[in-house]
Amino acid sequence: MVRTHRAKALKGAYLALVLAFLYIPIVIMIALSFNKSVSRAEWTGFTLDWYAKLFQSKQIMAALRVTLEVAVLATAVSTVIGTLGAIGMHAMNTGMANVLVNMSYLPMTTPDIVTGVSLMLMFVFTKVPMGKWTMLMAHIAFDTPYVLFSVMPKLRQMNPNLYEAALDLGCSPLQALYKVILPEISPGIVTGALLAFTMSLDDFVISYFTSNTDQNLAMIVYSAARRGVEPTMYALSTLMFVAIMALLLAVNRRSGLENM
Amino acid sequence: MVQDMRLIELKGVCKSFGDTEVLHDVDLYIRKCEFITLLGPSGCGKTTLLRIIGGFEMPTSGEVLFEGKDMTGIPPHKRRINTVFQKYALFNHLNVFDNIAFGLNLKTPEQLGVKTKAEKKAEIERRVSRMLKLVKMEGYEKRSTNALSGGQQQRIAIARALVNEPEVLLLDEPLGALDLKLRKEMQLELKAMQQQLGITFIYVTHDQEEALTMSDTIAVMNGGRVQQIGDPKRIYDEPKNAFVADFIGESNIISGEMLEDDLVRFSDTEFQCVDEGFEKNEPVDVVIRPEDIMIVGEDVGMLTGTVQSVIFKGVHYEMIVISGQFKWKVQSTTMQPVGSRVGMTIVPYNIHIMHRTDMANVPYNIYVPEGASREEA
Repeated sequence: MVRTHRAKALKGAYLALVLAFLYIPIVIMIALSFNKSVSRAEWTGFTLDWYAKLFQSKQIMAALRVTLEVAVLATAVSTVIGTLGAIGMHAMNTGMANVLVNMSYLPMTTPDIVTGVSLMLMFVFTKVPMGKWTMLMAHIAFDTPYVLFSVMPKLRQMNPNLYEAALDLGCSPLQALYKVILPEISPGIVTGALLAFTMSLDDFVISYFTSNTDQNLAMIVYSAARRGVEPTMYALSTLMFVAIMALLLAVNRRSGLENM
Repeated sequence: MVQDMRLIELKGVCKSFGDTEVLHDVDLYIRKCEFITLLGPSGCGKTTLLRIIGGFEMPTSGEVLFEGKDMTGIPPHKRRINTVFQKYALFNHLNVFDNIAFGLNLKTPEQLGVKTKAEKKAEIERRVSRMLKLVKMEGYEKRSTNALSGGQQQRIAIARALVNEPEVLLLDEPLGALDLKLRKEMQLELKAMQQQLGITFIYVTHDQEEALTMSDTIAVMNGGRVQQIGDPKRIYDEPKNAFVADFIGESNIISGEMLEDDLVRFSDTEFQCVDEGFEKNEPVDVVIRPEDIMIVGEDVGMLTGTVQSVIFKGVHYEMIVISGQFKWKVQSTTMQPVGSRVGMTIVPYNIHIMHRTDMANVPYNIYVPEGASREEA
């Protein structure tokens, strides 16, 4: 009896410790974003001033615009490329398809700094001026694998006769694609798009290396932090955290529903 | 005369996947309004043959004719053929109504015999509800296909294919996933539908009983070749070779020797038979159905043996009788106790003589005494 109690307590303590390490810093940051004092040392009362200031800052609003533009466009393009790529690879003979699938995995495992530096080198080398558009290209590149790997399992689960059934009932190959295949794998496509949007929204490293003229929100936070952090940055980080948390919850909820 | 009745004709169809030859020089014709079954064990090429007729595979060589015209290169969506797939392949994002209406929605109003879009909609509704009635699924229009049982899904898959009024319906083991009772019901229903609609059915199965129940014609396949084609009774009564005999129903297959016309020797005994035209002393396969062996007294039997096992099968007892070097499967309504000595009699027209085939897998009824290992036998 005593032993099981002790084991339970130990398990509980361990879990609490892990969660504390993960979430206390974020909780502190969120708390400070509502603190009247600029100082991190004392709590002088609740305020929403920092949030107000955030929305008055032209620089931050411009960065928000860049972030959203890049995220939306990158998501749209990578969802199309990733979905079509997955369908193509799925239809290929296994040998070649395996090589391609593994090659597509690589960008997901490559450290962001490597991806960032190499993309920067490419843009420098090809003399493309680095700004919003190069950032967009970079985001499409790292978003696409996420779509690919959300769609591939749906294709594998699909009844292999579905495409043939569509042809059998009178569809041309193209009609079979958009009337049957795409609706059938749409849960995977939506999950992939949500993931891509999340990745794009909070990317710092790759964006930092691939854009000079335009800054996204993560870059603003970084450059502000170097000058000495203002509580507006806590407010901005809090909003970004909440947005991404909401998106990830949406993704999880979707995969949870599908597995039911 | 027969020529003009041929709806589909396959001429010298071969199919290989890489180095593996799946179909070898298949010649086959299918008559209008016929229920034909391609029957054979898994891997015999029956599904590949069906897929070639449906247009999902191209033959490596040979021709497929539809009403005398070559249709080898025509894609599936341009053939007047519809398919019921093995695992139903219903569209899960559509409800029952939209699944059945799928093919009709792709057609122009003119193709459905009406003028306007509104008329097309009404026409589709009319045809779909007629199909739902045919497959006994009225009232299920708005249901999701995920909420249906296997048998119901199968009915929807059949309705979805038939609503397009095809000339030919291909069915790839459509009842494979259903339980025995449901399968038997659906067999009769499918046969009734086929007769009612007057559509040619090409049916693929490995279940010989299913084939015998439903078919007008059975094509028995093995090793990528059609072994025998004919009506069920003929295939059952007069199998062309030992493989067909073994696959259709149960058989005793014994190796023997044709001494002269109407006289064969097997199990060290000479038997009168009704087969002629073999060479003198030609080695042959002798096929005898278990129900054609009569158990008689030991002193009057043509063969004598010892009962090794008895199984009660409902209508009859199935006994294994060891006689010399062979084990005989015998079906009889009277039971003989295990270990008893019995005589066996076979009338001449129940002895079927077949030319030896080079098939290595002919399951001869060799008796291996206990204790003897396989290598020694």
